[in-house]
Amino acid sequence: MSSEFDQYLSTFIDETKEYMSTLNEQMLLLENEPDNMEAINEIFRTIHTLKGMSGTMGFSNMAKLSHRMENVFDLIRTEKVHVTHENSDLLFAGVDLLEKMTDSITTGGTDDSVDISQVVAQYERVISGEGVEERPNEKTQAVEPMPEETMDETGSDSPIDIPHEILHVLKEGKGSGFKPYYAKIKLEEGTLLKSARMYMVFHKLEELNSEVLYSKPDVEKIEDEAFDREVEIIFLSKLTETKLVQAISSISEIENVKIFVLTVNTISGGKKMDERENIEQAIEKTDSEVKNTPVMNNSDLTQEDEVETSRRPQSASSKLTRTIRVDTEKLDTLMNLMAELVIARSRINETLKKYEIKQVDESLAQLSRNTSDLQNIVMKIRMVPISYVFNRFPRMVRDLARKNDKEIQLIISGQETEVDRTVVEEIGDPLVHLLRNAVDHGIESMEERMKQGKPSTGIVRLDAKHEGNNVVIDVQDDGKGLDREKIIAKAVERGLIDEMSAAGLNDEEIFSFIFMPGFSTNDQVTDLSGRGVGMDVVKTSIENLNGSISVESEKGKGTKVTIRLPLTLAIIQALLVKVSNLVYAIPIASIDSTLNLPTSEIQIVQSREVVVIRGEIIPIVWLKEVFQLSVDDEKENIHVVIVKVGNKKFGLVVDGLLGQDDIVIKSLGKLLKDVNEFSGAAILGDGSISLILEIANIVHQNV
Amino acid sequence: MGKRVLIVDDAAFMRMILKDIVTKNGYEVAGEAANGLEAVERYKELKPDVTTMDITMPEMNGIDAIKKIKETDSEAKVIVCSAMGQQAMVIDAIQAGAKDFIVKPFQHSRVIEALNKVTG
Repeated sequence: MSSEFDQYLSTFIDETKEYMSTLNEQMLLLENEPDNMEAINEIFRTIHTLKGMSGTMGFSNMAKLSHRMENVFDLIRTEKVHVTHENSDLLFAGVDLLEKMTDSITTGGTDDSVDISQVVAQYERVISGEGVEERPNEKTQAVEPMPEETMDETGSDSPIDIPHEILHVLKEGKGSGFKPYYAKIKLEEGTLLKSARMYMVFHKLEELNSEVLYSKPDVEKIEDEAFDREVEIIFLSKLTETKLVQAISSISEIENVKIFVLTVNTISGGKKMDERENIEQAIEKTDSEVKNTPVMNNSDLTQEDEVETSRRPQSASSKLTRTIRVDTEKLDTLMNLMAELVIARSRINETLKKYEIKQVDESLAQLSRNTSDLQNIVMKIRMVPISYVFNRFPRMVRDLARKNDKEIQLIISGQETEVDRTVVEEIGDPLVHLLRNAVDHGIESMEERMKQGKPSTGIVRLDAKHEGNNVVIDVQDDGKGLDREKIIAKAVERGLIDEMSAAGLNDEEIFSFIFMPGFSTNDQVTDLSGRGVGMDVVKTSIENLNGSISVESEKGKGTKVTIRLPLTLAIIQALLVKVSNLVYAIPIASIDSTLNLPTSEIQIVQSREVVVIRGEIIPIVWLKEVFQLSVDDEKENIHVVIVKVGNKKFGLVVDGLLGQDDIVIKSLGKLLKDVNEFSGAAILGDGSISLILEIANIVHQNV
Repeated sequence: MGKRVLIVDDAAFMRMILKDIVTKNGYEVAGEAANGLEAVERYKELKPDVTTMDITMPEMNGIDAIKKIKETDSEAKVIVCSAMGQQAMVIDAIQAGAKDFIVKPFQHSRVIEALNKVTG
């Protein structure tokens, strides 16, 4: 790898990764709709770009592989090869290798560590199998040098064969100012796309109203790049030698040009220049040997381009966004500074309130607005659509399904849901696990499904959505579901419960056994329960993200695993409430409304305290009882904060509402990790500390 | 004052490479575009001395973009950036009015030679 390009490496890697996900996406689309021209074109273009980029970076293995893939797609594009299951596997194999190389490059390695020879060989078989006779070998040459034998006819020593008709034209003299010229044009060593370069010479002559009568090698050979570096031509022009030499030399990569006039005199005069001699000889000879020379014209050369220009329908996914790439560490620093700024603002607010300085009110309000906006933007910068994670799943599910000989449709929704990038980074592996379980163990074999009267194609759904300050991700399948009895049997066997108490457990409690460490290591359970591998690992990773996981299942109908994660971990809006003499924070996102009610409106329903609001019965929880704080005397009125958990409402009774504020969540640390009533703590404007309530847990434990 | 170059390529990476080559050799980057449509717009707006044009791009390919640019300015100087194996498209681009072509992976000297020849 050339060191001068090191500085471009990170851009290269980022962009290549984007192209990889486009490739996977479009390949899947193509596999389902083998005639989807848009997908074919998008893939072709993507691979083509990859080829150029990897070549530029000096990743020759990657360039070679993408080159071959491009060749194959060119055949697909021109409908010489059709997309089948077999060759789409082969194409996917190529995408995988490209991905491997990208990974290797990302981790500081090179593309050489990946062995591409087998796949490349298979591609070459595809390329040489169908349609090869219609392809000029121009494409393969780019990687491998031209075979020697194609150069033999172009040696400058051999006499030029001038066809009879042309000699005739020359001998007659064309009159009307046109002079016949002979030219010998030599390209620089290492010239790429020699045909195109030589075409520029022809094009230039055409522009100068000159007419090419003859060329050696002939035009077909020039098009096929079947020449070394030299081409001889005979043409008619009104311009002078000097003008012509100037014009042709102005083209890049021309090493030299020799031009002279072929007059009848010159021809018969027999001057001692090599080329002239050759021509004389040739002219003598030609009567016996007339050859049909095609004239280079546009239609010969543009056959391929017609296909090219019709490639235009482009997918919207390749739209241009003006972006810059920023190191995530800088974002983290920005976030921390932002958090400090928010705290500082609150403290200034507090302080100034004491002095009631009217003059600063306005600018303080302005400052508040600005910091809020700034904070919003910083948060948004850190958010990325969850599609970053979801994108790789269609491919994965497809591969797994094929391996297991199952037909599975993966339905993804909510991929545009935005989450903090730390969440995105961490959520991938647990989701892979869950999807794997769904495909391997959840969905039954095709025969089994038929027997059950289910459609043979299994459905796995992956859905993401926002719910308050959480993102909720569901992984659902319509497979065989969890087997309650077998889980109980296993739990009893492992001594986790006894049979007596097992009978009293509900489904949720039974299913939660699958999250127990070691519970699922037994293969039999995995098979019997249709679930299991490493669910404890999944649970741990989710909990490390301050999230929770739950499972619902119905035997024979399927299983749904729900993951709930905080959207972001840093700043939230909270309602500050007073309980006894302490200040607690309730995340605004969980709050439905607040009420002030006479204590007498509390009713008892099924031995539980509730309030009835607009006909809705809402259970209430006294926070001071939850936290075992000293109970004041009964008041006439109570403050109730109505919160939402899932789609149920609950009322939290507090002593007073202090107001809304932005708070920066600080974690409680490892020592207090078992405290699940609080999600963290925050420093308030006056420097005091407030605990942030974990509403869902409080409600679950007390209602 | 260096001649002003408009760089057109759908890959940010390639634009970066080209930008680097041209600025190191006394040219000035007038602007960038990531597809043919954008290139035509930017051309009208910036009137660059020379444009480097990738061929394979979304929205509008380089060849059509050259044609459109030539419609608005018949004197427009465009250098086509091609990859290996795009011979026929390069020829098409030259017919459409491109003045020269350069081949990826770029050799600095070739890029500069092309720019010098075309603007010289």
